[in-house]
Amino acid sequence: MIRGFAEKTIACLSWALALSLCLSVTVLLSYLLIKGLPSLGTELVFGKADPLNVLLGRERVFDGIFPAAVGTLSLVFLSTLIALPLGICSGIYLSEYATPGMKKAVGGLFDVLAGIPSIVVGLYGFSVSIFLHHHFSERLGPCLLISALSLGVLVLPYIVRSSQSALEELPAHIRCTATALGATRLQNLVYVLLPNALSGIGSGVILAIGRCAEDTAVILLTGVVATAGLPSSLFAQYEALPFYIYYISNQYTNPAELSNGYGACLVLLGICSVLFMVARGMQKRLFHWALYSR
Amino acid sequence: MMVSKDVFAESVFLCCAISSAIIILAILGFMVALGIPLFQEIPLSDILNGPWAPHHGAYGIRAMIFGTFLIAFLATLICLPLSLGMSFVISSLGGRRSRRLLGAIVRFMTGIPTVIYGFVGIFLLVPLIREGFGGPGMGVLTASIVLAILISPTMILFFTDSLLAVNAAYVQAAKALGATRVQRLLYVMLPGALSGMASGFILALGRAVGDTLIALMLAGNAVRTPQGLLEPARTLTAHIALVKAADFDSMAFRSIFACGITLYLFTILATIMVRVMTRERIAIS
Amino acid sequence: MPKQKKEKIILDRVDFFYGRRQVLCGIKAAFYSNTLTAITGPSGQGKSTLLGLLNGMWNEVPNTHCSGDIQILLGGQWISPLRKEISLSHLRRKVAMIFQEPNPLPMSIGRNMAFPLKLSGIRDKRLVEEKVRTALEQAFLWEEVKDRLEDSALNLSGGQKQRLCIARALILEPEILLCDEPTSSLDAKAARIIEALLVSLKNHCTLLVVSHYLDQVRRIGDRVMILENEGLTNGAGLSA
Repeated sequence: MIRGFAEKTIACLSWALALSLCLSVTVLLSYLLIKGLPSLGTELVFGKADPLNVLLGRERVFDGIFPAAVGTLSLVFLSTLIALPLGICSGIYLSEYATPGMKKAVGGLFDVLAGIPSIVVGLYGFSVSIFLHHHFSERLGPCLLISALSLGVLVLPYIVRSSQSALEELPAHIRCTATALGATRLQNLVYVLLPNALSGIGSGVILAIGRCAEDTAVILLTGVVATAGLPSSLFAQYEALPFYIYYISNQYTNPAELSNGYGACLVLLGICSVLFMVARGMQKRLFHWALYSR
Repeated sequence: MMVSKDVFAESVFLCCAISSAIIILAILGFMVALGIPLFQEIPLSDILNGPWAPHHGAYGIRAMIFGTFLIAFLATLICLPLSLGMSFVISSLGGRRSRRLLGAIVRFMTGIPTVIYGFVGIFLLVPLIREGFGGPGMGVLTASIVLAILISPTMILFFTDSLLAVNAAYVQAAKALGATRVQRLLYVMLPGALSGMASGFILALGRAVGDTLIALMLAGNAVRTPQGLLEPARTLTAHIALVKAADFDSMAFRSIFACGITLYLFTILATIMVRVMTRERIAIS
Repeated sequence: MPKQKKEKIILDRVDFFYGRRQVLCGIKAAFYSNTLTAITGPSGQGKSTLLGLLNGMWNEVPNTHCSGDIQILLGGQWISPLRKEISLSHLRRKVAMIFQEPNPLPMSIGRNMAFPLKLSGIRDKRLVEEKVRTALEQAFLWEEVKDRLEDSALNLSGGQKQRLCIARALILEPEILLCDEPTSSLDAKAARIIEALLVSLKNHCTLLVVSHYLDQVRRIGDRVMILENEGLTNGAGLSA
């Protein structure tokens, strides 16, 4: 019964491989926790400066991750602001108004965008800043705004895809209800379709936010630096958590800095995990119930 | 009044869709425009095939192309058995609780930032490789291993979805005929899932090709064609990240646009392949 | 002359719960060798559930619970499909099942037929061909497909697909054949062929046929049982 033996081997092998993958992830996380937990605290975030003073703007933080955290948050906020309207409207157009030919063509372009390496998107942002630098003003260069624009482009496919599929997956009878009562296309969209598709769209937004928070390649080319303090303006350079981690791994000079690096990893992991779980919760329509149970 | 509101809304949506499309095409456009001086001065074959020696006027990215595809293919090859095993267990071989737990672990992995994989890789894996295999520690093998773990959730989720999408009636038929779980998996689910799994493979490969940080942090970044798995290498993505600090107008600098174009073209190729395969699957069913 | 009636399947005080809902209550019944028992009753009362208990289809489904005793005489021995230790694959080779929707696998007719043999490890080509032919003849399908065993099974008509599924179930020579509404998805003419086929199979195995067509039940059943209000009672109107 060679066949029976082969089948059993495949089953055992599959389990072994699955468990070894789980093991490596567990090792990774435990290592991080062991090395990083000791350094979690206000000193990690604010360094030697007084937390209250920092929050009131009176003191600068030099050896904490506060500026990087603020930089990341500003980045996420700005890029979502840029990508959200553009993405949702494109998704609405593709699912509700586009001809099949257009769906294929534009959908194909978005597939390409989704597959483009993030560093290429960063290169694009960098090229744009060079262009502006040469043709408009010497003071323009890689900065917070350019990074936000590039990140917006990077996460655009997530938002477009999730909006498009959330709307397309709505059952047929929901579409007919309002129109049978005399609603126009726009009214149907705004009052019926969008509220019902909200959880799907929302989860795409959250995933996009997570992507902005963790991305390093784009910001490497578009304005992130190791020490810039809090972002002073949209056209200034800034710090960010992922870059801080990368910088520490390369250039740490003493164990305290390395320990900060581990702590920063935990903070970033914590932020991304929370965002991820929120996205899952949205997918399971928990938020939908919250919106509707008035 | 209502009618013009409708028309207005539609045009707004259309504009958004078109602007997005234009942005995507502009990416390629900008890179070509900025890379043109390089292509004008140096023949294409030299760029693609020549060595990298900026002080001697050689701007070939061959070593980087080789590095990218070596690391990416090796990572995908390491990832393949891991993903097959995991997807087999999640879709069929595991009990209800193990399926849920493993599925949750895989989905959680998609949320782990890349830089963290790199960071742990530097301080945990590199010393291990150095002690176990010799060499500098940072090289093709280290980067491929970590990259394999990074891209595995993509492959696993694709494989699992394809396996579970096989028509339930077929699985039920096999079950009633006395097929064990493994037999159902191998003889009914797997054949039906192959084209979906192929798409997953290509997408994971695409992710491996496009990743910057793992190669940047773990592959050593030496600009040579690696002769062995323990030697350092540089990928196209890492090259872009490293060279951007060079002088704005130098040819060395412009070579990163050549890298960018190569990566962009590869992405288009991979996207087309996946689309063709999914269309085939829809045609068959 | 009264036939020698040997018991083949015995159910004693069987209860079945799906979650907290009780689907079967105190089922007591005996089924005899080489007979065709038709089971009918109002829909949703658990006829398919009852069949599924006999070939272990519920063993892997979570949130279900079955109590009581089921004994089946297979290969001269009494075994119970409810016990955890029995091998489900072996059980299902001897207790075969046909479904309401014919479900041929997406392969050629020949490979569909050979599939159960492959699962049991029977690979000798000549033996396989022989068994395939025998089973297709028993299922009244051989003449129609003998020249096109390479064709896809999905291209057959509904009635042919169901006969293929029956043939495929017969190839391992089961002792019991469970049929869950075997003709519900077929037109009247195809249904008649299946009915004749099922009756002819009494020589080879014991049949339990679930159906909600009263006239069919009267036509084919040696005995009719009605499943209602969760119990199983003998129905009137036995055919000779």
